[in-house]
Amino acid sequence: METNPISVIFMKSDSKGDRLLFRFPFQDNLRPETRQQKRRKNPYALTVNEDLLYAPPQQSTNVIKGQLSGFSDEVLSTLFAVKQELCEHKFELKVNDVRFVSHPTLLNTHIRHADLSDYKANSPSIFLVNIVFALQAIASHSIVKCYYDLSKQLGIALRHEEQRCGYVSEEMKTMIAIHDATATRPEEASLDGHESPFDMILKQCSLARNLKTVYEDLSSSGKTHLRVNKWIQASFCLPQKVHQCHRKGFMVEPEMIDNCLKNLRPYHGILLLTDQYKLLETIPPDASPALTRLIKMYSPIKSLQTLSADADLTLKQIFHLVGHLLYWGDALIIYPICDSNVYVMSPDAPTYSHSPLIEQFSESFPGHNLLQVMSEFSLPMSMRQKISPLCQPHEQAELVQILVWLLQHRLLLQLHTYIFFIPTQSGLSNHQEQSGPSSHQYFSREERNDSFQSNSDIETSSAREPSESDISSNVSDDKVLNFTHLENVNYSSFDEPVDQIDGISSQEFLADFNEEERSSLLKIPACSSPEDFYLLIRLCKRGYLHGMHHLEEIMYLENVRRSQLLQILDKFRDVLITCEMEDLAISMFHSHSAD
Amino acid sequence: MEKPEKYFEGCGQEGPIRCIFLCEFHHVAGPKITCQIPEDYISKDTFESVSVYIIPKAQLQRSTLTITILGHKILGFPVRIDNKKYARNAFYFNLCFVFDAWARTVQYEPVVKKLSDYLTEMEVESNFLSLQDESETEKKRLCSMLTQVLLDLNRQKMCTLSEGKATTHLKVVKISCDPPPVYDYQVPVFVEPLEKFQSEQWDLTTQQILPFIDGFNHVAKIASEADVENNLVKSCLQNLLYYGVVSLIPIFQYSNMYAATPKIRKLSTERSLQESCVRAAALAGSPFPTVKNILRLLCSMTHGTTVRDICLRYNPSTLNIDICKLVQFAVLQGLIRKIRKYPVSMNNSNLNGLRCMDELCVAATTSSRQLEQQLEGDSSVFFIWK
Repeated sequence: METNPISVIFMKSDSKGDRLLFRFPFQDNLRPETRQQKRRKNPYALTVNEDLLYAPPQQSTNVIKGQLSGFSDEVLSTLFAVKQELCEHKFELKVNDVRFVSHPTLLNTHIRHADLSDYKANSPSIFLVNIVFALQAIASHSIVKCYYDLSKQLGIALRHEEQRCGYVSEEMKTMIAIHDATATRPEEASLDGHESPFDMILKQCSLARNLKTVYEDLSSSGKTHLRVNKWIQASFCLPQKVHQCHRKGFMVEPEMIDNCLKNLRPYHGILLLTDQYKLLETIPPDASPALTRLIKMYSPIKSLQTLSADADLTLKQIFHLVGHLLYWGDALIIYPICDSNVYVMSPDAPTYSHSPLIEQFSESFPGHNLLQVMSEFSLPMSMRQKISPLCQPHEQAELVQILVWLLQHRLLLQLHTYIFFIPTQSGLSNHQEQSGPSSHQYFSREERNDSFQSNSDIETSSAREPSESDISSNVSDDKVLNFTHLENVNYSSFDEPVDQIDGISSQEFLADFNEEERSSLLKIPACSSPEDFYLLIRLCKRGYLHGMHHLEEIMYLENVRRSQLLQILDKFRDVLITCEMEDLAISMFHSHSAD
Repeated sequence: MEKPEKYFEGCGQEGPIRCIFLCEFHHVAGPKITCQIPEDYISKDTFESVSVYIIPKAQLQRSTLTITILGHKILGFPVRIDNKKYARNAFYFNLCFVFDAWARTVQYEPVVKKLSDYLTEMEVESNFLSLQDESETEKKRLCSMLTQVLLDLNRQKMCTLSEGKATTHLKVVKISCDPPPVYDYQVPVFVEPLEKFQSEQWDLTTQQILPFIDGFNHVAKIASEADVENNLVKSCLQNLLYYGVVSLIPIFQYSNMYAATPKIRKLSTERSLQESCVRAAALAGSPFPTVKNILRLLCSMTHGTTVRDICLRYNPSTLNIDICKLVQFAVLQGLIRKIRKYPVSMNNSNLNGLRCMDELCVAATTSSRQLEQQLEGDSSVFFIWK
């Protein structure tokens, strides 16, 4: 997997020169080197002249069985002992098929207050530490960026700890001592299975153990939480790894998460991927109490707006927290579960008859077979259809549990109804295209245009999620802003004067259409009923009928009932075309919708 | 939007070569730039801070090294020539290409390596590189050579160098990923019109199968009709796929189900797409169908609705729509996708859920209806559509 690190390397460079202090994993690298040393140190060996003339063949790979190879510790330390002008910048070096990335960090040595009198011996000196991650060269730029952020984060933590209590100097001293001790060890001792210096470092240095944890966590789960020197909290998540998809080779890029968050609306809901109480346990003690409150109030049937009311948080805060949960792979965005939602199998769902999911499913729901459930969801199905009136309440509850499980494992897609208003045979007229700025806006927001949101940004930046006004301006043009403003939305009623829509009378509206469109519209008998006609016009005017807004969204934004919309769809079926699709804003985690 | 935002690190775009320089390890002065085109693109300070990656330790000789630093991306291939005649018994040099930090540069790696090998040869034969300091003519020769490489590669992605008797051709080859494997049950379709495409340029086997690619024959059928071995057909198609000449779609059947994808929206707004769709879906010898009817047909495709149902409901031929061609066009454009049917059984290893109905039918050479009837009797078999 290109998301996994190949190796993590810790090196220093100070007035005494540069030195690689720790690398992990190290077992396999050691053997060829010791053999080389042995050969060199043999006093009877001839100096082979050919060695001098021998041109080494081209190296093409430095990764053997997923391990870094072909680099000695000395070579690596010279490579990463960057000149001072390159420090505190991104360092990226690609050698054949390995890419090294790091953030070289400069530290000032810590001065103990007690020793201040002996000024000369303890004058502060600057030294460089570099935590380098070796990755596969094919790793995408966003992965490299994430590892760079991690290196930077660790570097900053080390700088703080050095300043506070000289942690790094102490650790370095121990590591150097171990290296020196093993280097002077008699030759035989290092050969017959004696511990390598890295093993001993691992036992004695907490910093080395931290780096090992980082390597192992990232290789297994993609998430790591650690405390540098039991003091500074460092957390990191690799979204490309945390969001596991069923489709091979498909990865969730951080920018997709950003897009998803940009398209987040108050009517969306969240689905936690783990049990809410288990999640609460994993949250660090100094986490925001708002997050705890949100998780306690969580339910997959609540919309974000309801959650904001229940948890007594502003919608903006909720959006922040949801962004957090989503990025860290703890939650998915869904439309809140209700009995009118229509679900169908996701095209990415694994159908393999021996997939581990089948086992997991039957453990969670004894007596049910995942294959059977999947075959039932092969046709679009709503909970209303699934629950028969004869169902016992506990059976209903179990059905909901099954649905939640399927959604958590990304086996289901929700289908929404989208509407196209096509008055004439030739499709939308030019005028119509222009009058739908919202649709263009909608798409342009999906194109990524800002620089990468890094992990640290998620944690620190507060201007990331769209604000309330953002949300409404995103889905409709400015005219409706006051209409859809979050506070008003529940109270803005449908009982406005029927002949005035956004200050435009029906005559003016019809004047926007050309002759052909007008006549085809007026042919429809339902036009004689003013309520229906004006609702249609209103929806049309606000650009909801370009296939960009699903029924639920229109219901939310316009405060109309589903039955009203369904009536309109039926009465004006000659000019309206409906289509069932997934919600593009939140379905980007399914590979076929992503491109 | 501001223009520079188009280029950010990780945008995945290719960029021009900004500079080419040759650097050597001088026995007294250490690493230094011998020749740089254009001059002073890489400042002395920048060079000094990265020289350790340009003239690296022995272990890294003959490796492709790319260093991204200070807004530049420097791609090099360090070489050492061992010979007693040199001051340190060896001559170290590195020919480097410089790009903007945001550019993709993998495709230049073979070029840099080839050019380095060419220079190595010239050095071994005539001390071309080591004489740079002493001979003004040699220096001019190298400068003009590198200038030519820079200009030609940026302009036409290839360059031919002739120095004396030796000639070398440099070409930047676009790196595409390997084409996916081709299966028996897939249908190849030409992406570009046939007239555009010269069949003579393909190999003989490909030429033999080309007439049978009509957008409806599947691979196994093409193999049997063209009388070419099945695996040969697949590798020919894979080749055509790699060059973007054909695309693969599922077999068209009236029992198929399709579902509209979010891309269908484009059909309601994009004029050019509408026009090509109308042209592609038109029934031969009739007037063009209307966009509205096409959109209505495609939008009604959903889970549970077969093409047969749609034909019964709308009677496409009265709307001047050729349903086979419409489906073909829409699948190619990604407006709709096929919903595949997977028979899965825990007991039958043949029905392990990895093979869809099409694949099973083609393998067993039965019709899907026959196979369905066979399987429906077995209660352990579940059908999953996705």
